[in-house]
Amino acid sequence: MSRRELDLEAALADLAADLRFPPTPDLAAAVTARLEEGPARNPARRRPPARRWPAWMAGWRRLAVAGLAVLLLAAAVLVASPGTREAVARRLGLRGIGVRVGGPPPPTVTTAPGARLDLGLGERVTLGEARRRAAFPVLVPTAAGFDRPDAVFVNGAVPPGGRVDLVYRARPGLPASSFTDAGLLITEFRGQPEPEFLKKVTGAGMVRSVTVGGEPGFFFSGEPHFFSYQDTTGQFREEQTRLAGNTLIWQRGDLTLRLEGDLPMAEAVRIAESMR
Amino acid sequence: MEGRPLDEQELVEQARGGDARAYEVLVRRYQDLAFRTAWVIAGGADAEDAAQEGFVKAWYALPRFRAGSPFRPWLLAIVANEARNRRRSGRRQDDLALRVAEDRPSGDAAPSPEAAALAGEQRRLLLAAVSRLAEPDRQVIACRYFLELSEAEMAAALGCRRGTVKSRLSRALGRLRAALAEQGAGAAASATGLPGGDR
Repeated sequence: MSRRELDLEAALADLAADLRFPPTPDLAAAVTARLEEGPARNPARRRPPARRWPAWMAGWRRLAVAGLAVLLLAAAVLVASPGTREAVARRLGLRGIGVRVGGPPPPTVTTAPGARLDLGLGERVTLGEARRRAAFPVLVPTAAGFDRPDAVFVNGAVPPGGRVDLVYRARPGLPASSFTDAGLLITEFRGQPEPEFLKKVTGAGMVRSVTVGGEPGFFFSGEPHFFSYQDTTGQFREEQTRLAGNTLIWQRGDLTLRLEGDLPMAEAVRIAESMR
Repeated sequence: MEGRPLDEQELVEQARGGDARAYEVLVRRYQDLAFRTAWVIAGGADAEDAAQEGFVKAWYALPRFRAGSPFRPWLLAIVANEARNRRRSGRRQDDLALRVAEDRPSGDAAPSPEAAALAGEQRRLLLAAVSRLAEPDRQVIACRYFLELSEAEMAAALGCRRGTVKSRLSRALGRLRAALAEQGAGAAASATGLPGGDR
């Protein structure tokens, strides 16, 4: 390191000693109060899914609004593969899901803190009904324990061509996501190059390139993500309360699939590959 | 607190197990750092909000925390992410909105009032130059020198790869140096040995 650099660094360090930040508010008290008043989603004592189920189902139904796209943001350190972040950004992305690494997301408006998760899931139907209504063959995992989703939703409007969501309750071996309360959420739709239905903007976070049944995919992990949505007016709505766990996105023919759950990569891929 | 204070890993483990008291100790321990990091990134009124939200989200994300890994970068990544999102949805922060203390004389030996005033002025000029840098440069310098973050923590706070932190900092220092030179602050800089207009 050159002398000039050292001088400038010394001057900055000297300045730092004199710098006055505004006084730190009493965050500990505020945070503790919020944890006490909030849903008792204590990491060690998760609410039994049976009790939790009706509340979040109602929330999803209530909020099943057409015209939403999901923007995924991730925090943390990008450990993705060689090359620059820009190179990674160019390489990522599947039909209907854009992945951008770094850079600012589109302008957002913020929903009220505490607002319930809105996945735009659509209408709850039986699996048979979903198969009749979807414009594509609905895939379901054949892996033991996953062949019968606990709930199935159809949304015919968004994205074009519609989507189907399979939801699995948390259970032993399938921990509840701290964020969705569900054990597993699988979304499938026929991805078009344009428009993007899902956008994943990751400032960082661990992104791994994977192969699912011989087709390309990506596994996002390492840090919580959170969602925001694009409504019919094209505005992105930031969902402050929604954090997402590990997420696998992959391609299967002309279908694009997304699997979110508190699962390690190998398990996520195993379930994904079992889908028929 | 009686006895030795619990170390970070013990506290994190207890918090992961659902102990809100242990988590409160962690929040108290890191609230300065979290708030100031949020201040550097989001600035102003958003900083408190971002830091508080970051701590709450970190609590709910604790089950995902990898046991044994350092807590500070993990926490900072969450807080900084909150801060960035607030800043994006609001107006851009124009400067660091920090000030230089008036009460500390410069140097170790008692300086003359004139020297103290000059040194204070130089610090203000330097701070002003840092504040005028483009946001990424300003943030990396603030993280390194004002918050004294480690490389891993800087990467977490800035949302970049650890490997790029050094080069990013070095480029920011280069631009700061150029800005100081341009400021025609040769006089101000040379008094502290600041490389100002010597090119």
